[in-house]
Amino acid sequence: MRVTSLLGPLALALLLAAPFGLPIFAMTLLTELVILGLFAMSLDLMVGYTRLVSFGHAAAYGLGAYASGYILLNSALPLPFAVLAAAILTGMIAIGVGWVCTLATGVSFSMLTLAFAQLLYAVSFKWTSVTGGSDGLAGIPRNPGPLGLEVLSTKNGFYYFALACLVGSFFLCRALVRSPFGAVLRGIRENEAKTLALGYNTRLYKITVVAIAYALGGLAGALYSPFAGFANTELLFWLVSGQVLIMVIVGGSGTLIGPILGATFFLTLEHQLSSYTEAWALFFGLTFIAFVLFAPEGIWGLAKRYLGQRAPEETEQAPAAITKAEAKPHG
Amino acid sequence: MSTLAFLLNQSVNALSQAALLFFLGVGLTLIFGIMRIVNFAHGTLYMLGAFVGYSAVRITGSYWGALVAAPLVVGLLGTAFEFGILRRLYRRDAHAFLMVTFGLALVTGEAVRLIWGSEALQVPAPALLSGVVFLLDEPFPVYRLFLAAAGAVMAFAIWQLLERTRLGLLIRATSQNAEMVHALGTDVNMIRSAVFGIGCGLAALGGVLAAPLVTASHGMAASAVIDAFVIVIIGGMGSFLGSLIGALLVAFVQVFGNYYYPDFALAFMYLLMLLVLVVRPGGLLGKEA
Amino acid sequence: MAEPDTIQATSVAQPRPPLIDVEGLTKRYGALVAVDNVFMRVAEGEVRAVIGPNGAGKTTLFHLVTGVVPTTSGTVRFDGETITGLPAHSICQRGLSRTFQLTSLFPEMTARENTMLAAQARHPRHWLPFGGGSVFEHARAAGDTALEQLGLTHVANRPAGLLSHGDQRLLEVAMAMAQEPKVLLLDEPTQGLSVEETAEAVDTLARFLERARVTVLLVEHDMEVVFRLAHKITVLHRGAVIADGSPEAVKADARVQEAYLGGME
Repeated sequence: MRVTSLLGPLALALLLAAPFGLPIFAMTLLTELVILGLFAMSLDLMVGYTRLVSFGHAAAYGLGAYASGYILLNSALPLPFAVLAAAILTGMIAIGVGWVCTLATGVSFSMLTLAFAQLLYAVSFKWTSVTGGSDGLAGIPRNPGPLGLEVLSTKNGFYYFALACLVGSFFLCRALVRSPFGAVLRGIRENEAKTLALGYNTRLYKITVVAIAYALGGLAGALYSPFAGFANTELLFWLVSGQVLIMVIVGGSGTLIGPILGATFFLTLEHQLSSYTEAWALFFGLTFIAFVLFAPEGIWGLAKRYLGQRAPEETEQAPAAITKAEAKPHG
Repeated sequence: MSTLAFLLNQSVNALSQAALLFFLGVGLTLIFGIMRIVNFAHGTLYMLGAFVGYSAVRITGSYWGALVAAPLVVGLLGTAFEFGILRRLYRRDAHAFLMVTFGLALVTGEAVRLIWGSEALQVPAPALLSGVVFLLDEPFPVYRLFLAAAGAVMAFAIWQLLERTRLGLLIRATSQNAEMVHALGTDVNMIRSAVFGIGCGLAALGGVLAAPLVTASHGMAASAVIDAFVIVIIGGMGSFLGSLIGALLVAFVQVFGNYYYPDFALAFMYLLMLLVLVVRPGGLLGKEA
Repeated sequence: MAEPDTIQATSVAQPRPPLIDVEGLTKRYGALVAVDNVFMRVAEGEVRAVIGPNGAGKTTLFHLVTGVVPTTSGTVRFDGETITGLPAHSICQRGLSRTFQLTSLFPEMTARENTMLAAQARHPRHWLPFGGGSVFEHARAAGDTALEQLGLTHVANRPAGLLSHGDQRLLEVAMAMAQEPKVLLLDEPTQGLSVEETAEAVDTLARFLERARVTVLLVEHDMEVVFRLAHKITVLHRGAVIADGSPEAVKADARVQEAYLGGME
């Protein structure tokens, strides 16, 4: 009997039932959690499965948020379509980003993703006609429809919509990492030169995974702006990129579920600590350092070890690769 | 203003900017060369340098005191961090370092906020360096001339350190082949601690030197860390000369870009980096990636 | 210097067009000529070894053939088509599979997963982003066959990083074989092994080559290994071909002996 195989359906049932039992403020927090969970999960495709450590995932979030905000403010496009369009737009831009960033590997790749995000951050201040400059976009509506459907613009309706996006994306990602494509990603993660030598065009794979990860990160951002009602430059700031990376690592990279737990941990800690101390980010940083040092497999990895279950799928193993030096071809 | 005077003025601006960028970039590249670590906290330590400098001026009453105290304090903190934390990670891959130093950036940033508050703090330049001098009938801020000179002196000093001293020899040898140095009986960990400390100290020196120009503020960290990385990527990871060339290129692009196309100044820097990466993926003076 | 005339003269006698045809291949690094106007032909079914003292340009020649390093001049034809200048992965897709001089595996994956990922590359839908049952089935079948050929079935479920050095070297060969290549390129397959491990690995390789009948291009500096495995030998010295022929002929060649003694001092 695998304990963890029951956790998924149980968690989903609880999330579905939540609006019937939780007070309004808790639902707001839960909706934000669902959005952040999706954001973190999208980054895991890159960090955990391909070991493309992005330091600029805020770019995806911000792009999605501004795009859906702009569409919702300037058209009557129904909410789901606007959100979807924003995600696709983000993914398309990411093809260019991926092309540029994969010119470099390793640490330089990370810095290029960061540089790109900071470039967008700077642009968001200057391109006022679209982004609203330093004021950002405010009063972003949840346009009704399609077919006159009003329910998505309500608080709980929006929650279910966000949850559907998260669950749908989860199954999409899971199918991806278990597919032949996912096997190649794993090869790139463990030994890119060998994967290339086996005849895979690794750069094309990397660009594709960047595009998918950005599209899903963009989806999360596209949900955020109608959720919060605004989109501002802060969403593109490097701190956001760092926070989401922390969620992935602390939760457990290369697991898809882990980053969602990481987001939960992050939000809860922020919520709890910030009512006690001004310096919650200080403790958060220390927690993060402790995880990197002592528990690189993250919360989900620890949980699985605690529950005495070995990872059932090759693709769901804790990223032990992160702890081991890879064999490099030579000569 | 004559064209010549204008060019001279902007060039001095660019050179002073290059000096600050060089202090950032050379520390990062030294650390990378010797430890294969990308220090994400570099920008935060630059900022910390400015704030420590502020306090040092308050305590000692002298800007010159701050110039000594800030690099010393931050350098020692860096050494302690290497000793306490990084040393546990040498068997792990580069990303573990990236994440741990990111954590350090977060913690340091918050600590600075707790100690010095969220406001930007003024660090006045000493009287000797305030004011302007006239060249070609145009006023030049003395402080900028001082920065450019300080950059040149330090670049020369670091170069001499690397080329002429025993420590420099060990640093260069370790970046070539750490195992060999270790086998020859030198404690490589000591060199790593020292270099990490020196690199952090240089960042702090840049920070305290920048403070009279831009005030000590929290915004310094993010832009500094990105500038530093751009410089090092352009110049080539681990190359001393590369960081110098990278700093000069970036500074001139920033200053002249800012003058002619202020809205796109930032983009120029990234375009420059992109161009270099396309032509030479390992950076101008780096090994082929 | 190579003497293309004599080499071409011997090659013309071959009944079938060669599978690999190297013509005038040259690689310069600045002033250094690493590979100097090399002519070489590998017939189908042949096991050809490229030997030479250290620094003779063996590995560079290998990199040129597999597209890892760009050529300065000359051409490489594979199965009648020019492959010079193609990217490495695309050359590999045409049926040249190689091993590395230093072991290069996926250490966290099991031996079977290593061969499966290798085999998957040859499947037309190796990039499928969902499902993929039939792709994995093909990969598993090809991978298991290759593991068996190299006598690795008993360690199929062990992570590659935990295998003995000898088994790791053989696993590399198995991965290349799982790709069902037209030509197998082996870069010093016994590099880094102890004397006992080498003997064992060479036994396994010899048995495997006897049965598999695959065309092999082998780079090796260990003479014992070469004379055990190769049908034909090309000798490189300072980047140029100084001898080409059967093991016996090469062994007897005065210039080879001189080059080896000179190069080994």
